[in-house]
Formats: sequence, C-alpha cells, structure tokens
Amino acid sequence: MRAFRGEAIRLSSVWVAYSGSGRPAIKDVSLTVGMGKFVLLTGPNGAGKTTLVETCLGILKPLKGVAELLGVNTKSIKVVEVRKLCSYVPQDFMRPPYEFYTAGHVIKLGLAPLRPPLPYVDNLNDRVEEVANLLGIRDLLDKPIGALSGGQQQKVFIARALVRKPKLIFLDEPFASLDRGSRELVARIVRDYVKRENATALVVSHDTSTISNLSDATVEMNGGRILKVEGDLT
Amino acid sequence: MIVALPLLTSFLSGLLCGTLGYYVDKLRIATLSFSVAHAALAGAAVGMILGMDMTLTAALTAVGFASVMGTLSLKVGEAKELISMSFFSFFNALALFMIYLSNTTVLATSSVAAILWGSVLAITPFKISVLASTLLLFILYVILYKHRLDSLLFDRKLAEAEGINVHAHAFTILLFVSVAIALTLKLTGGFLVFSLLYNPVMTSIQISRKAHVQQLLSPTLGAIAATIGLLTSYAIDLPVGACIAVTSSIILLVSAIARAIFNYALAKKAISYS
Repeated sequence: MRAFRGEAIRLSSVWVAYSGSGRPAIKDVSLTVGMGKFVLLTGPNGAGKTTLVETCLGILKPLKGVAELLGVNTKSIKVVEVRKLCSYVPQDFMRPPYEFYTAGHVIKLGLAPLRPPLPYVDNLNDRVEEVANLLGIRDLLDKPIGALSGGQQQKVFIARALVRKPKLIFLDEPFASLDRGSRELVARIVRDYVKRENATALVVSHDTSTISNLSDATVEMNGGRILKVEGDLT
Repeated sequence: MIVALPLLTSFLSGLLCGTLGYYVDKLRIATLSFSVAHAALAGAAVGMILGMDMTLTAALTAVGFASVMGTLSLKVGEAKELISMSFFSFFNALALFMIYLSNTTVLATSSVAAILWGSVLAITPFKISVLASTLLLFILYVILYKHRLDSLLFDRKLAEAEGINVHAHAFTILLFVSVAIALTLKLTGGFLVFSLLYNPVMTSIQISRKAHVQQLLSPTLGAIAATIGLLTSYAIDLPVGACIAVTSSIILLVSAIARAIFNYALAKKAISYS
C-alpha cells in the first residue's frame, strides 16, 4: 500500500449516535490531526472519547458531517484498505482465563490483514520478538493470553498494535492496567515510534500526567463535544 | 447402494454443517442463518408447488435472501437481527401456505415429508457430489484465509479496525451456510436442519475451551450425529430428520451434564486448597 502524505484524521462537523439511541454521542465535532503528532484525548467518563476514536476508524459512521481517515471518507468502501495502515488498542481488551491463544499468536494476528493468503511459512517471529523485547514481554510470548494479568495483556495488545508498523495508532486507555513504570515505558515507546516513523498516535487517557509532557497536543472532550484543544495538532 | 448413498449424505451433511456451525457461532450470525434456513424451507415448498427441483429452489431462495441480508446488514447494523426474525416468520408462513396448497390432506406424502422432517428418497449421486464439492470449497476458503479468519474469530471488532473485511467474510460464510442448508434440507427437514448446524458447535464448546479443538470437534460431532441418526431411523423406522435431531440433542445434553460435573469437581478441588 502506498505511503500516505497528508492529514491523519479530519472530522468536519461530525454527529454520531448509537443505533436505537435518540441522543447523539458526538455533537458537531470538528478536528484535524496531521502526521507525526502524538495527541492526548482526555475527558470524563461518557465524554465521547471512545466514540470519537471509533468514528475516526470508520467503525461508527457519522449521521451528519464527514469523517476522513488518512484522506479517505470513512463511509467509502476504501476505508477497509486504509485501516490496514492503522492500529487500535480498544479499552475492553481483556480476554477470559480460558482463552488459549498464546501472547505471541495474538501479536502475530495483528499482521493477518497485511499477509498474503499463502504461504503459511513466514519469518514474522523476528518482528514479533523485536516488539516484545521492546515492551519487556519476551518471556510471555508462549503463554496463553488468558493466563496473563491485565497489565501484561495490555502490553500484548500494544505490541500487536506496534508490530503492524502503522501510520496511525489509536490507543484507548492504554495505561489503565499498567503500573507507573510501565506507563512511562509504553508512553515513551509510542512517542519514539511516532517521531521516528512520522506516524500519528491518538491516545485516550484519564491519566494526563503520564503523557502530557510528551504529547504534541491535548484535546479535551465533554458531553460529546470538544471543549478545548491545546498544542499543535497539524 | 440403497444404504450407502444416504450414509454418505448424512456423513457429509454433518461434516459440512458442523464445520460451518463453528463459524456461524463465532461470527454471531446464528439469527441470520436461522432465517436463511427458513428461506430455504419456503423455497423448497414453492418448488414443490411449481413442480421444480426443491433443492434448487431452496438454494436459490436461501442464497438470494442471504445476499439481501448481507447487503442490508451494512446499512442497518444491529437491526439486522430483528429484520431477519421478521423474515423468519414470513418464510414460515410462506412454507405453510405452500404445503396447504399442495392438495394433501395428511402431511405424509413424500414431498411434504421431505420438507418437514426429511427423507432419504431424493438423494442422488449428483447431490452428494454437490455436497462434497461445497465442503471442499469451504475447506479451501478456510485454508486460504486462515490468518484473517483466525483474527476475526479472536476479536471481530479489532479485526475490523485492523483492516479485515469482516462483512465480506461474514457474507461469504452466510452464502456457504445457505447452500449447505439447501443441500441438507431434504435429509433433516426444514425445521430440524439447525440441529446439525448448532448442536455440534454447542457440544464442542462444552467439551473444550480451545478454539482449534472446537474447530475439529464440531464437524466430527456433526458427522457422528447425522450418521447415528440415520442408522437409528433405519432401525426403528422413524423420520430421519427427527432421529438426527434427537441424536445430536442427546450428545449435547450428555456433554453439558459432563461439563457441569467437571466444573463441580474443579470447584471442589479449588475449595480443598483453602
């Protein structure tokens, strides 16, 4: 897929409501984020942060307004292709204790859309190990993900996001299950990746203290609206 | 030959439905496939009235309905469940109208019986070859898209966010389901075809939590239930579809009881640690 040059995200007067709900979860939101930016999205519970992320990814479609992901309208069929350049770590990542997939397999699954159907033999293990080493989870790769703690599972999903070498990363509360040291490690790794690869990261977090000094901009939401933007988004 | 063809059909039907049932369950398209099965039933009933090949009309109706719902589901989101249930009632009504119009006073003529509770009389080598080809085609599809299907089965939303065409894969599987149901309809009957689609995967979930084990167990259990059901129907002279449904239900019940006992034993063991 061709390298993208331009805006990472563009939302123009976007309204989003969940199916069957009369109340919009996002109201008249306009936001433009350029490439190479590390952006913090913050706000209280129910502010519309996760809805905004899923709208950017095109999982939720605007009722009104236009959402563009890497220059592609999220209502277009092409959004499926452009998502291959994106990574997402959802808030509800926890797997049940009986989940048998190993951590290494879960990370490798992130590469599934980027791999040709055949052959099965590949040399992806080096790539998986490299990112696992970075996050300090190399020794967890052969363990079933269901047997890992919340923080360990969160690191596995962050590794899955990074192994894809995305142009755009969406992390929804990536520090929620991590201890202080791990939070700082993950924040620094993502920040370094963004600057090295000229990628963009949109990080949803209540914990502004961990990344506020690393981020290029902070977007504050409440009641489905953007209240405040601080810093350089473009 | 009289026994061999139905046996082979039962075995292949169980294998195909059990394989598909696993994906139907994991992709959460059970309601959709339920409606597709009733579309096939209505199609077969219409075919009976028009004097056409019932398997063909069942397949056309099921594939047509699956195509409509596959396209519609992109637009209507979660409402697809309710829409497909409305169609379920409509297709049932259509099937009953057609059966009523078939000039039968007792629901026991061979055609009506085949639609309602299954019959081995209409099995031909050609239909078996179509059944086998469908199974092989689906296995080929699974092999080709193994990575993407694995990702989809692990977490549908994450797979969608990462660029896997979730709708295209769900739609493809629904098309396979509609063909499989149309081909299996005459063996089990329209109301009992789900026993081969859902019971094996539910049983496999009782037996193992591991996805790859469930993937292998589901078709195996489907084939076993269908074969035992057919042999039972021969032995005690009862409708084949009902015998297959009862067999697969018994296997499910036994596995559920065994799972409950196993869970109880595990809980006791956990308590004994303290």
